[in-house]
Order: sequence, then C-alpha cells, then structure tokens
Amino acid sequence: MPKQQRIRDPLHDLIEFNVDRVHLEAVLWRVVQTRPFQRLRRIKQLGFSDVVYPGATHSRLLHSVGVFHTAKRLLRVIDKYVSAKNPRADQALAAALLHDLGHGPFSHAFEDVGERFGLTMADHEKVSELLIRDSEIADELRTVGSGFANDVADIVAGNGPKTIYSAVVSSQFDADRLDYVRRDRLMTGIKHAAIDFEWLMENLEIGSVPYGVDETSIGSVETFVLGSKAIYAAEAYVLGLFQLYPTVCFHKATRGAEKIYAELLARAITLIQNGSAKNTGLPRSHPLVKFAQKPDKIEAVLALDDTVIWGALALMADSKDGCISKLAQRLRDRQLYKCIDLRTKIARDKTDADATCPAADTVCAGIRDELTKWHEEWSGKNPDAPPRILIDEVERSPYNLTNKETGGPLNQINIRTAGNHLEDVAKRSNVVAELKTYKAFRVYHAEGDNEAKDKITQIMDAGIRQWPA
Amino acid sequence: MAGLDYAYRAAAIVRDAGGYIVGRTKLQKIAYFLEVAGIGSGFHFRYKHYGPYSEQLASAAQHASALKLITEHESVANWGGLYSTFHSCIPADPAPNPARIRMANEMVNADAVELELAATALFLAKEGFTDPWTETARRKPDKADAGRLDNAKELYQRLRAVPTPHLLPAL
Repeated sequence: MPKQQRIRDPLHDLIEFNVDRVHLEAVLWRVVQTRPFQRLRRIKQLGFSDVVYPGATHSRLLHSVGVFHTAKRLLRVIDKYVSAKNPRADQALAAALLHDLGHGPFSHAFEDVGERFGLTMADHEKVSELLIRDSEIADELRTVGSGFANDVADIVAGNGPKTIYSAVVSSQFDADRLDYVRRDRLMTGIKHAAIDFEWLMENLEIGSVPYGVDETSIGSVETFVLGSKAIYAAEAYVLGLFQLYPTVCFHKATRGAEKIYAELLARAITLIQNGSAKNTGLPRSHPLVKFAQKPDKIEAVLALDDTVIWGALALMADSKDGCISKLAQRLRDRQLYKCIDLRTKIARDKTDADATCPAADTVCAGIRDELTKWHEEWSGKNPDAPPRILIDEVERSPYNLTNKETGGPLNQINIRTAGNHLEDVAKRSNVVAELKTYKAFRVYHAEGDNEAKDKITQIMDAGIRQWPA
Repeated sequence: MAGLDYAYRAAAIVRDAGGYIVGRTKLQKIAYFLEVAGIGSGFHFRYKHYGPYSEQLASAAQHASALKLITEHESVANWGGLYSTFHSCIPADPAPNPARIRMANEMVNADAVELELAATALFLAKEGFTDPWTETARRKPDKADAGRLDNAKELYQRLRAVPTPHLLPAL
C-alpha cells in the first residue's frame, strides 16, 4: 500500500500528503519539517484573539496545512475544465502551503511596529518571499525544478500573469479565505458566520472576466465563478467574512491587547536601539534584543515567535523601565485598557447611519488629531510612562464591487446567470449590495484614569459638534 | 490613517494636476512620482502588486471628499469596472510650483496602465533592482503587453525631463 503522511485536523479531518506517489507532495511534506515552517507552529493564527475566545489558539502551521488541503480541492475543480496538466498547478499548491511563512509574532501588530520603525523584516510578505527563494525551503523546492522556488515565490507575492492557478492563492475564492472563514469560526466557538462550503465547491466553475485599470481595459482573466444555484451560498460566504470582522478579527478586547503589545514592542525596540537593552529586563542574547539590533537579518526574525514574546513577559514585567514593566504585566495578566468607542457614541448622539458615513470619517480624523496632540503633549512631559491612551482605527470592506484600486476581477464574486452571463454577486443579492464597510474607532485608557477618560469624552463631544455641513 | 491636514494635501494634488484626475490608480501614481521628485505632499508609499500605493493617500482622499475639498464621481468603464473621477474644489494656489504642475499635468493625460508601469519601475529601481523595466514586465506581463511597456518608458523619459528638486534616476 502506498505510503501516506496524514495530519488529523479538527476542520478537515484527514489531511493527506501522498508522499509515495506524488513527488511534489513528498517535497512539500519535507518542507513542512523545515525550521521556518515549524516556526509557524508557534505563531497563532488569530494572535491575541484567545483573550476573548480561549479556544482560538490554533496555529498558522495548521491553517497553512488546511490551505494546502483546500487548494487541492480547488485544483480538482480546475481539472474538470482543463485537461492538460499545467505546471502552474504545482506552483499554486506549494504557494498555498507557504503563503503565511513570513508572519512574525502576533502577525499584524508586529507589522505595524515594523512599519513605525522601518523594519523591512517585519513585513510578512517580504519575509515569505525571501524564505521561499533562499532558505532550506528553497533547497527542497528546487528538487522539483531549478526555477520552481522562484515561481512559487512569485505566486505568493502576486507577481506574474493572473491565471486561474493564481486565483487558487489569491482571489475571493482562494484557499486561504476558504480555510480561515471556517477554521476561525470553529476554533473561536462562534455560531454565526457559517458558510455552505461543500455547496460552494460543488458549484465553482471557471469563467473569463474583463480586467482593467481605472478606465483602461487590459483584457480578460480567468477566475473562479459560481453557478446560478449557488447564489445563496455566495451571499452567506460574503456575510460570513463580514461577520468575522467585528466579532473576531477586530473585537475590542483583542485589539486592545494588540495595542498594548505594539507599545511594549516599540518601547523595547527604542531602548535596545538606544543602547539601553538592559533596561528592558531581557538578556543580551534574547531573540528580541538581537532582532532590534539587527532587524535586517532574516535569522533574527526567524528566531521570533509568539512563545518567545510570552516567555519574555515574565522578564519584562521585572524591568527597571516603568513603561516596559507595566505594559508587560498588563499583557501577561490580561489587564487591558478600557475602551471608548467613538462610532458607537456617534450612533447614540446622532443616528446609526451617521456612525459610518463619510462625514463621520472626517469627524473621527479630526478627533484623532486632537487626541494625538493632547497625548503627545502629555508624553513630552512624561517620556518614560506607559501611554495614557491608545487609539485603534480599523476599516474593512466585506466586499468591494469591481475595481476599487485594491480590487479587480479576482476580488469579485461572479454568478453565472440563466442566460449564461456573469454578473457580480452584489448585483444579484440585495443583502450583499446593502453591506456597509465595517469601521471602528476606539480610544483606550487605563481603568481608573478618570482624567484621561474625561479628556477623551470632552474631545469626542467637541469633535462631534463640528459635524461637517 | 491620515490626519486631516493630509486631506488638503490630497486635494492639492488634484488641483495641481489641472483640476481633475481620472482614476484612483492615476491619483496614487501621480502622488508617488511627485514624492520621489521632491515636490510631493509627504505621503508614504509601499509596494503592492498594483505598484506603489499609499494607504495614507487613499484615506486622505476620502477625508477630502467628505470635507468637500474634492468631489468624487464613480463611472462604469467600457470593460465593466468602476472608476472614480476626482475634481478639485479648492482655490488656485497663490504661489504654484511650476515643476509640480508640469509633472502632474504630464501624468494626468497619460494612460493609467502605462503610468502604473512607470511608477512600478521607479519603485523597483529605488529598491535596488538593476533592470527595473525587465522586472516590471516580469511582474506585470499582462499590463506590459501590447506596447505598453515601451510607452511607459517614453512617459518616464518625459517625466524625467522635468527639472525637479530630486531628478528622477535613469532607469
């Protein structure tokens, strides 16, 4: 009997690597055993979400293997339409497995700090690309073909022609989304955001859709489209993604923990880069100290993961630096800041519709400017204190109708009509058409700091009074 | 997210490009070129698969629209997609920068895809690619097709000919 390597997964049950019969799957199984891939075992898919959902401790390793499994299903859909074997199929499968390789500890919060300090190795896309092109993973991939590692890196980076194979890795129906929308629901324990996965897969087809930039047409591109019987499944899929934002990804407590972590990291990096590493409470050999000192070294970022940070908290909590010790204790003990939600306040003071309209965006921006000015003044007088307020602004569209700059045909869901035309789901579904972009604007302050709380409220009230005419 | 002062900067780009810009891509790429040439508005750009892109600028344009510093109209392109046209609503600059106006006007009439290709090549050159045009074509084969890469090179030469505080590099 041919040998299989099998992983038991709470979402997909058995995930198989056919190592005896399929050379690529044997290679990818070896890739799974490499150090950079195993690092993903220690990076949680949902970062700090377990402060809200204690079950949401699943790793990026398991998610990545789930994406590989889902990509195989999508490739079988393509096989129904394309008889000849295309080398891009193998590239897409490898890219699906490796798409998250470069994530740092607590993924997006780490990237935000990296952007603040100009640390290129905090950019997960860049790190993924480097590891796929040049590491022990690249060595394994090159056993498939000399250019294979670079081809896989290009798909992950979004380079090269847009084909149905690149849609497996990046599109509205990419394997990543199809895995995380279900996995995050399962592991958090939420009961909303369900999708009809099997029906979606059963009704996936390949379609050719027009493609352009602004008013200029480029041609057409092949991507996944849905048969007409899947209209309600498509609707539920968009709704599922939409419901994950407020309840999971952007939950106020999760974001509050991320903000504390980002400030802790920023303070530590500042001290280390100023030659005061010992004030962080960390030994000189600690991976975080090494990363802050040599942030351009890929080895330095590979030594970081969530567990390294959790382990550092005990040391940082005893730091001589008041800011570091207080923030580390807060994170360790889940003593999060309290949140005032500006858009909720706008909804209360005005109307629900006002809370997310363009005028509210402008009011929020003005309030942010005022809060920042006040806080910078305060920080100037108290340079070693932990931040008095933390500001969180998020905006996420569940579904963009055709070609906002970041969109395009691969970000559309097209449904085949009875007349064999392709039409955007937003034109076929009133529910999708009515979905508004999710927006949140929160200001956090320490519990008991009533002066800060009053100041925040005062600035918010003044800002709302200046509502644009 | 951009501060409110950035809304005025976004509107000023539209004003200096002749009062209107067709397309979000074009707005982004015009702003990027102005930034590199040293006559920009302080927006920070990162590389995305559609070329240099500034989240700050995208959010500043939204604020500018809400503050009525610009108007944004969405239209349907002949290929079926939506695109935006931005019109400036702010008064003329009392002390205009001729280089900025010349450069912005050169770009506002260019083809959006060719402008994206030129901006991408410039970004890649600044990232250290020794042959940024070849790399651009490799990354965006669909867009570089049909003579658009050659046209992008010509466009780049015209932009480079504009005397600016930071001359654009030879690519």
